Amino acid sequence: MTDAHVLEIQGRFTSGATPLDTQRLCDVCADVAQMSGAGIMMMSGDVQRGSLCTTNHVSALIEELQFSLSEGPCLDAFHEARPVLEPDLTNPRVVRWMAFSEAAVEAGVRAIFGFPISVGPVKLGALNLYRDEPGGLTTEQHGDCLILADTVARSVIMMQAHATPGQLAQEFEAGADFELVIHQASGMVAAQLGTSVGQALIRLQAHAFGNDQSLRSVARAVIGRELRFDGPADPVLISQSEQ
Amino acid sequence: MSRESLLVATFVELTDVLVDEFDVVDLLTHLTDRCVEVLDVTAAGLLLADPAGELRVVASSSEAMHTLELFELQSAEGPCFECFHTGEPIANAQLTPTDQPWATFGPRAIASGFLSVTALPMRLRGRTIGALNLFRSDANELSERDLRAAQAFADVATIGILQHLAVEEAQTVNDQLTAALNSRVVIEQAKGMVAERNGLDMADAFNRLRGHARAHNLRLSDLAAQVVAGTVSPVALDAQPPKRRAAK
Repeated sequence: MTDAHVLEIQGRFTSGATPLDTQRLCDVCADVAQMSGAGIMMMSGDVQRGSLCTTNHVSALIEELQFSLSEGPCLDAFHEARPVLEPDLTNPRVVRWMAFSEAAVEAGVRAIFGFPISVGPVKLGALNLYRDEPGGLTTEQHGDCLILADTVARSVIMMQAHATPGQLAQEFEAGADFELVIHQASGMVAAQLGTSVGQALIRLQAHAFGNDQSLRSVARAVIGRELRFDGPADPVLISQSEQ
Repeated sequence: MSRESLLVATFVELTDVLVDEFDVVDLLTHLTDRCVEVLDVTAAGLLLADPAGELRVVASSSEAMHTLELFELQSAEGPCFECFHTGEPIANAQLTPTDQPWATFGPRAIASGFLSVTALPMRLRGRTIGALNLFRSDANELSERDLRAAQAFADVATIGILQHLAVEEAQTVNDQLTAALNSRVVIEQAKGMVAERNGLDMADAFNRLRGHARAHNLRLSDLAAQVVAGTVSPVALDAQPPKRRAAK
């Protein structure tokens, strides 16, 4: 891995006419790593914050599934601080992420790779890269992915370093999905149940899991007032109870 | 330990900068001690530039060395000073009472018992952040092998220090990012509670929170945190009519 090669990859991020935005971060990652798609997951401590950018609807689904199910390659890559590689998701050597894998395969994901995004010990999130065909990374690709993750980390820090104190970097407002509907729904359910928002979120997650729905669609139903959590018993679907 | 094992051990120590307890002064003091242990030198000292670009004595293998380095800085003259400003190494400069390059520093160094000096830049990609001084109590030259090892120590320490600065900055920025995201999350949760208890949609719930915060001179994120914590009731917020209807 020569300096010139690192500079060449870094140059791909900065070569555009417009200032670097998060969408280009994702696009360049997918392109350089020769993948079907890429996404950047943000974490603070152990808390998932959502997605900074994704290249297509499959990448977005990969991010959402991990947020919803609390399992998947990016979460493992983040927690274990190392790349997590699954070259064949339909026939994995290690069976892991049962719920995630099933849904991801259904969406067309065949190989998936998670790389931690960090500056030394400062952990920011993880880069998700997927391919619609099975197959591992070549040594060169693996090296390129490490450079990509490093460049993403430095870019994220650079963007936020220029933000107004107390505010999110403006670049993050554009393409990011910080799963705000889920926090709104947690607030509503907390008010319905008279519990903390943390407990409300757990109820939402349990309902999503038990009904084989995404957390986001359950949240939308709550905000749309189609679903209420009114007591210790099961939540009530408004449309059914009114009929 | 053999010389080779000591060399390897030193490199491992110098690269161990990504741990939480990392301390630049500790690392560099260790480096100067190791130079004396591994290389054929009597004393070692290290100067680093502060953020304003002024050199400071950071580490020395002995008190005599420390005093001499301070003297070098005060007189703005000497091998380390010169090496830092040119970015070029000075290898095996001989110090004799009659013939040596530094009129003020030279005699002082000789008086401290040093007869030969080497200064190596701490440099990465055109940026010099300091210099490593190696002194001998005799006039013999440092071997090419020792010179290469010393420069390698300086290089690894330089990378470590620059990396450490990057990590410190990243930590600060990441803390700010986390705080900004936290306040965003709390505002969304409060919107949900206000919407539910007052039968509002999210946009109107946000307006009510914001209106109340403004009317009571509160920060929106602080008010939201109080609502979520249950210390301010979602139904106790000021219900201001929307502006377009307020004129009526």
